[in-house]
Amino acid sequence: MSPAGCSHVNGYKVDNWKQNLRVIYQCFVWSGTAETRRRKAKSCICHMCGAHLNRLHSCLYCVFFGCFTKKHIHEHAKNKRHNLAIDLLYGGIYCFVCQDYIYDKDMEQIAKEEQRKAWKLLSVISVPSHLCFFMSTGIGEKYTTWEPTKRELELLRHNPKRRKITTNCTIGLRGLINLGNTCFMNCIVQALTHTPLLRDFFLSDRHKCEMQSNSCLVCEMSQLFQEFYSGHRSPHIPFRLLHLVWTHARHLAGYEQQDAHEFLIAALDVLHRHCKGDTTHDNGKKANNPNHCNCIIDQIFTGGLQSDVTCQVCHGVSTTIDPFWDISLDLPGSSTPFWPLSPGGDGSTVNGESHLSGSTTLTDCLRRFTRPEHLGSSAKIKCGGCHSYQESTKQLTMKKLPIVACFHLKRFEHSAKLRRKITTYVSFPLELDMTPFMASSKESRMNGQYQQTVDVLNNDNKYSLFAVVNHQGTLESGHYTSFIRQHKDQWFKCDDAIITKASIKDVLDSEGYLLFYHKQFLEYE
Amino acid sequence: MKMEDMPLSGPDNTKLEALVHEIYSDLVEDACLGLCFEVHRAVKQGYFFLDETDQESMKEFEIVDQPGVDIFGQVYNQWKNKECECPNCKRFIAASRFAPHLEKCLGMGRNSSRIANRRLASNNNMSKSESDQEDNDDLNDNDWSYGAEKKAKKRKSDKNTNSPRRSKSLKHKNGDLGSSVNTESYKYNYNTGINYETLGPDELRSLLTTQCGVISEHTKKMCTRPSLPDGDAVVESDSYDIPDGQALMSRLQWEDSPDISPTDSASSKASTNHSDSRRPKKKKRASLGLNSSGGGGGSGCPIGGGSSSSSQSNISLSTKKKRPKLPAPSIPNIYDDLN
Repeated sequence: MSPAGCSHVNGYKVDNWKQNLRVIYQCFVWSGTAETRRRKAKSCICHMCGAHLNRLHSCLYCVFFGCFTKKHIHEHAKNKRHNLAIDLLYGGIYCFVCQDYIYDKDMEQIAKEEQRKAWKLLSVISVPSHLCFFMSTGIGEKYTTWEPTKRELELLRHNPKRRKITTNCTIGLRGLINLGNTCFMNCIVQALTHTPLLRDFFLSDRHKCEMQSNSCLVCEMSQLFQEFYSGHRSPHIPFRLLHLVWTHARHLAGYEQQDAHEFLIAALDVLHRHCKGDTTHDNGKKANNPNHCNCIIDQIFTGGLQSDVTCQVCHGVSTTIDPFWDISLDLPGSSTPFWPLSPGGDGSTVNGESHLSGSTTLTDCLRRFTRPEHLGSSAKIKCGGCHSYQESTKQLTMKKLPIVACFHLKRFEHSAKLRRKITTYVSFPLELDMTPFMASSKESRMNGQYQQTVDVLNNDNKYSLFAVVNHQGTLESGHYTSFIRQHKDQWFKCDDAIITKASIKDVLDSEGYLLFYHKQFLEYE
Repeated sequence: MKMEDMPLSGPDNTKLEALVHEIYSDLVEDACLGLCFEVHRAVKQGYFFLDETDQESMKEFEIVDQPGVDIFGQVYNQWKNKECECPNCKRFIAASRFAPHLEKCLGMGRNSSRIANRRLASNNNMSKSESDQEDNDDLNDNDWSYGAEKKAKKRKSDKNTNSPRRSKSLKHKNGDLGSSVNTESYKYNYNTGINYETLGPDELRSLLTTQCGVISEHTKKMCTRPSLPDGDAVVESDSYDIPDGQALMSRLQWEDSPDISPTDSASSKASTNHSDSRRPKKKKRASLGLNSSGGGGGSGCPIGGGSSSSSQSNISLSTKKKRPKLPAPSIPNIYDDLN
């Protein structure tokens, strides 16, 4: 008998007690269907005072409901010598002799089973597929936290030294050795290891490898997380990662200093390809369609970009939606003209950015990205409505936002005439609201509602900055560093092997090359 | 007053508000109760206090926020001697030079494929001696820069590009021309299992003054051909106390391949779209070994990578990096640095 149980239950565990207990759980505690819920609501009232709430308990020996707060169940127990009662709200068993809730192993087992059954019946609740990874059987399963077994408890008590990840803890942070101009890779690795959802996926050990050889990049990623959370202080040497990426993304291979953005896309691509083994959890269906993959990379990073081409003559719109992993934004100062912005663009300061006498903001760049662009007479589109070539305007909007949005500021110009780095300062916010750039917003704008009132309660499109990759230097040679966010409000600067604390001001004042934003609220699909 | 008795609608909204408030507080109370049960159970089962950590561990992992040290309290730039094992060739490479090594090792650099292709072509078509000379040119082209790169650092500890042929070419340059040398060169014996990293400087000097010491890229065996006396021994030894630097340099200048031009080495100026997979420039190898000090442009990509950590280690190669062969054109620069 565990210390949490008591001997008084032995008097109860006779005859058909298991079945009786099950019935009580099914009818009065866990309601799986609408009828049971109705029945519970109607029948569960205190037999003495008629109250519905007040911590109603049911006697285990007879049919009696009594409220706990008014001690009606206590009276019943004393009078009838029925020493056990069950809390109808959470299913806990109360022993009147011990005067405490007790936890008996057998009874808890029954309770757990009944609860699981009830949850399975609640099919109206759908779970976002990326969270399916955290549930053992799929939809309708209540997530239970880890509980140590007796043996584990013993071990833990004998070994009191712990590593706990508190807010002032270095665990989770680690430097990375530069392998020879590989700072571009180090920055991307820092950003990825500090992407909360990705971190949770790998630390929960959710990758099931199906690759025969030792060359799975996802496994290496998993190993990388282990290294970051190992508590080691010395920087990690990511040579295996480099080897694997170069093996799987041949076009990247080459020792020369490379572009961090290019590396990010290549790495995501390889991870996506190697994630095949993890896509079987979606209701048991394998994701065979490459355009509709359900791997963790697609769950987190893939968004949908809607491109609308409007014929100027018949105003027919042809729409295509393309998946994207990042959004590349032009900057002022490049050879393509930045201003003027689209007509009807709201002049209000969205996202709380201040226009410091003309400094460009990320929102400006986004507005430019989503502006209707007149394609000109040299680029006539064949219109399905007019059946002829007509001039048209094209507009890009976000159809579906990814959970992690990566913005790439195009600072490196490679046009025919010049090659240079654009160092224009672009201010970016800590919190970003993508609502004005959504396809749905565009529709309402077209329907005449010009000024978009910001819906404070709509949290779907709110993002928080969590990583920034910066490039210092010139086009020919330079160095990448990154800022990453840990523990909600702490920022750290990652310069290869050197990790130091940084202030939010440092982060927001930096030039910015790749900006990583994470959705604030994860909604059910 | 019971809930059922309260009229919901009506001019008096206070009843509705009261109802709403009551429902809300019931929900909150239930939620709090749930939490209480969780804690109660955890305490009773004995796992509530499990995640409490001891003071010592807390201090151990505390973030340090002082100037001059990182968050672990460590001084910067102490990680110069890290090594790693190449997954391809299984050799131990200094971490800061792993990337250039890997590129060669995997044969995926721009020039590696060119060398390989030419080698294959020449092996099929031509006689060995001719092919050797061509490959020498290739190797010389690719591995070293001429002129523009002033801050040439020791390239890397890659032995793959050393081949028996290179030593032959040096023999040629030394004026010992003649077919006899060539034919002799085919009678090599190969020793196995030499790892230059593990040998001490004295051992190495004695080894290399008596034997060729080149490790074949293909078989990974070391050549034990007895080395020729005099200048060759000096050239092949790894110590840099060569008395007549000038004479050596003039010998080595000969190795310049005629088709290399100074402009080629300024590879960073060449412009290609950085996202192209093909990088058609010939001489971008020039940037190798220039990882630090800001020099060494890539193909015009938005690049970064230079940590300055490797600059120092590059100079001190006399004891560490055992090469049967000196990287020729960069020697003048290294001498400058050493002097």
